[in-house]
Amino acid sequence: MKRLTVAVAGNPNSGKSTLINAIAGTSLQVGNWPGVTVEKKMATLKIEDLTIKLVDLPGTYSLSPYTQEEVIARDFLVKEKPDIIIDVADSTNLERNLYLTVQLLELGIPVILALNIFDEAKKKGYEFDIVKLEELLGVKVIPTVATKKDGVEDILHYIKEFAEGKSVHSPKKIKYGDDIENSLKIIEEALKTSNPSILSLYPSRWLALKILEEDQLVLKETGINEDAYFLKKAKEHFINAHEEDIESILADIRYGIASGVTREILSKREVRRSDLTERIDRVVLNRYLGIPIFLTAMWLVFKIAFDFSSPLSDWIDSTISGVVTKWSKFVLETMGTPQWLVSLATEGVIAGVGAVLVFLPVIAVMMFIITFLEGSGYMARAAFVMDRLMHYIGLHGKSFIPMLLGFGCNVPSIYATRVLETERDRKLTAMLVPLMSCGARLPVYVIFIGAFFAQNAANVLWSLYVLGILMAVLLGLFLKRTLFKGFAPVFIMELPPYRVPVLRDLMVHTWQKLKHFVVKAGTYIFAVSIIMWFLLNTPYGVEKEHSILGRIGKTISPVFAPLGFGTWEASSSLVAGLIAKEVVVSTMAQIYVDDKGENKGESEAAEVNEEGRDENLKKETEMGFFEDLKETVISFAVAVRDSFVSLFSGLGIHSLKAEEDEEQKTLQSKLKGIFSPLSAYAFLVFVLLYWPCVVVGIAMRQEFGSWKLYGQTMIIHSVLAWLVAFLIFQGGKMLGF
Amino acid sequence: MIPLALIGKGERVEIIDLIKRGKAIFCHLRDMGLFEGKIIEVLDNQNKGLIIVKIDNSRLAIGRGMAMKIIVRRLT
Repeated sequence: MKRLTVAVAGNPNSGKSTLINAIAGTSLQVGNWPGVTVEKKMATLKIEDLTIKLVDLPGTYSLSPYTQEEVIARDFLVKEKPDIIIDVADSTNLERNLYLTVQLLELGIPVILALNIFDEAKKKGYEFDIVKLEELLGVKVIPTVATKKDGVEDILHYIKEFAEGKSVHSPKKIKYGDDIENSLKIIEEALKTSNPSILSLYPSRWLALKILEEDQLVLKETGINEDAYFLKKAKEHFINAHEEDIESILADIRYGIASGVTREILSKREVRRSDLTERIDRVVLNRYLGIPIFLTAMWLVFKIAFDFSSPLSDWIDSTISGVVTKWSKFVLETMGTPQWLVSLATEGVIAGVGAVLVFLPVIAVMMFIITFLEGSGYMARAAFVMDRLMHYIGLHGKSFIPMLLGFGCNVPSIYATRVLETERDRKLTAMLVPLMSCGARLPVYVIFIGAFFAQNAANVLWSLYVLGILMAVLLGLFLKRTLFKGFAPVFIMELPPYRVPVLRDLMVHTWQKLKHFVVKAGTYIFAVSIIMWFLLNTPYGVEKEHSILGRIGKTISPVFAPLGFGTWEASSSLVAGLIAKEVVVSTMAQIYVDDKGENKGESEAAEVNEEGRDENLKKETEMGFFEDLKETVISFAVAVRDSFVSLFSGLGIHSLKAEEDEEQKTLQSKLKGIFSPLSAYAFLVFVLLYWPCVVVGIAMRQEFGSWKLYGQTMIIHSVLAWLVAFLIFQGGKMLGF
Repeated sequence: MIPLALIGKGERVEIIDLIKRGKAIFCHLRDMGLFEGKIIEVLDNQNKGLIIVKIDNSRLAIGRGMAMKIIVRRLT
């Protein structure tokens, strides 16, 4: 059994990820590179007796150490020493892509050069001398069209031949001219005598090159001093002969090779037609049309993301909390399970599963849209259009998209921060996203506004959304000067050509994210849901006031006294809101609208009757079960229909509407006795701004590798919420409200 | 000799010099294909915000501050 490690390298926008999807499909596993927030894709493939471990490196233009992606890519190549590299190059942009290829050759690892997007190059009238290209660089060249899976077989076939030792290509050693070759020799000799252990870790010629370039990362890792005697000696010659730094000289040589090779093997009979991409850009990036087009696109994105998914989420929610809960309860009760265990199973376990599943439709739809925007090339334009505005709060233009999606649900927005290029931008955006008032906060607003501000409902609701945005701007300005100081976001970005995204890519990415969410986030959400059950229900059967949650609420309630809602009921509900902000309302309902009598009266009554009606019940149940099953299927069909209908109906966004029912009316009348309009508004502001729900935290942990960011966010947002609510309540009191 | 930031839409120029070429971000620029001797076309310059240039077959959006430090020569 043979094993090969194959690294896939290439420029951003070279079609690398499409090629990977074409090779590996759903066997791809997505994770993060250790310690950073850069996505790592891997797959294990088997061809007969050969096992291939495929590792996708981040897209890079070079192997210099200027971006996080470049450092990751070259660390992997240098330290893990893959057996062969697939270098994905954009055939329509050969010279720049060969610049990376030249650097890959320096590592001495065999290279397969995939000339991707070959069809477009052909259309442009490019002719490639592939045999000559193979000869000049010492690599295997395979033309590919990743979107059509063309060339994938050839690549796998070649890898197999390579594994069997049939390959004839060996990477050409790049000649840098006598001066540099001499210097390299001096360095290599010096290393041989002084640090032989280092030479076993790195390819020796590459190491010598990097030392000569004074690559700071390599110098640090090897512990070689910039002023080392041999290094001075190696560079002596240069300091006299050239004015420029050695790194630039080497870069020039590499570019020289890349353009020389390109000239020799590529003949263009290019007819300069007006490029489709340029024509679209003339409209999309137009000074006046740019922003309206962007806003329209974003409105569509939002509508699709949430209106399409919300009927499905609602269906999952009502099925789990309705039919599934009902019948599980029934089965458990007929089995004679103790009441508390039934409650744990239904309100803890099943509700926990439901809490995970409810997120699936929205995450799926959103991943699909985000991948579509990226694949089509519009994402880069969105960043371009929004850049000036977002720059103001220290963010990148692309940050706008996760922020906007935050109004629907903050959780997928955290995942959407992936579209940003730097870790700093990703983290800062993720920290601001929870200030966008998500759909889960709406039920809280609706209850309180209905009770206190029915006359001014729209204005009050609007004010909360605007306050959230305002706070995001202020917090952004604040964080830019404190926690995220010292990184000036410099703007340079490629605007890739517009392309029709490949459906396979969209499916693969959506599927990966869902799988990841269920496996990684699912367990946490499930655990938290069970913990919350214990907090609310232990000791079992007591009044809510004496449950653990009630006691926590009582202990912390003085904190909220200056904000106008220092009651144990309010603080317990806020604590419970950690699960999801809408839980604030349902907890209040449980506390204030003294239960539906489920725990007490009903179960006793049931016991009395149980014996007698057992038989009848059984018959009824069977019927009832199938009835319910039928209804569930029908309601699913209705949900699917609603998803599509809501896509095409009207301009409004449906998922932002909430209905009222009887139970809410009772709760509202209770609330009127406890809150004043002023303290109610302070409470709403607090709910808007305080710690984001735990699912956001889990998403942050998944994306950023630790709980640290969520911890920071929780503290900063809670302090902010307290301050703003304090100002509103105390200020309002002074003004006589 | 004029900074790239001052070149109008549709003009073709040759890059003459990158001021501060040793700095990390300019090395990154070089890695993306912007270096001395390269001929580029300005696709869009609205005299504020970003400048879009075309290099070979790729389009780059460059911040104004950076474009002030890229010295070019007009090709007529």
